[in-house]
Amino acid sequence: MHEGVAAYVLGVLDEDEHEAFERHLDTCASCQAELKELAETPDLLDELKFLPAASEDDPPMPMPR
Amino acid sequence: MLTHVDDRFESADAEAEHRTASLHREFGGPLRRHVRGLTGNDLRWTEDVVREAIGKAGRDPARRHWEPGLLWAWLVTEARRLVRDGCRRDGVHAQETAADGADRALSAIVVSAALRDLSEEHREVIEQTYLRGRTISEAAEILGIPPGTVKSRLYYGIKALRALLADKGVAG
Ligand SMILES: [Zn+2]
Repeated sequence: MHEGVAAYVLGVLDEDEHEAFERHLDTCASCQAELKELAETPDLLDELKFLPAASEDDPPMPMPR
Repeated sequence: MLTHVDDRFESADAEAEHRTASLHREFGGPLRRHVRGLTGNDLRWTEDVVREAIGKAGRDPARRHWEPGLLWAWLVTEARRLVRDGCRRDGVHAQETAADGADRALSAIVVSAALRDLSEEHREVIEQTYLRGRTISEAAEILGIPPGTVKSRLYYGIKALRALLADKGVAG
């Protein structure tokens, strides 16, 4: 259950799992701490929209090595 | 009109209303600014999202004793979800704000470099969920792996990404 915190922060849990995780979060101190730690990470991923090559139809992906 | 009524005598509704008003005072301003960044400065959409997120927190007795840092993390997470749901439902993309373009391009390059440094498995699940706007189960189907595996890889992938960004001086 604890591993769901990353998917929760990113907002990619399916609806029923989202509800279940929120109830877990009510009382799980370790997930509460991780939520605080990870809450800003999606904002950093959002920065990828500002990559010079970004376009609407083709979300920015890192180039292969 | 509640002047000095003991909490125990307030009805659940009045208590939720009271709590919501106090959350608006404490978090309304900063949350509005944060959400404007997500909605591309769409003020009406921002207002709806802020009201819904704070209202939900105010109604939920489990949130009543959370400290401010945790409440803030919950509010920005809920607000982001509401914005993304709006995008998915209406098929619109939030307009990108053109402000401070150079700085943003720079952070974009740093984040993109950090993603490249992740293992293939970690990078793949971040791309196929968050960056493509897909849920865990949608990504699992595309990748041909169980949803639990996507969820778990996402957890370790995000932790690894954060560690890399911290090394680069982002996300202190
Ligand atoms: Zn937990």
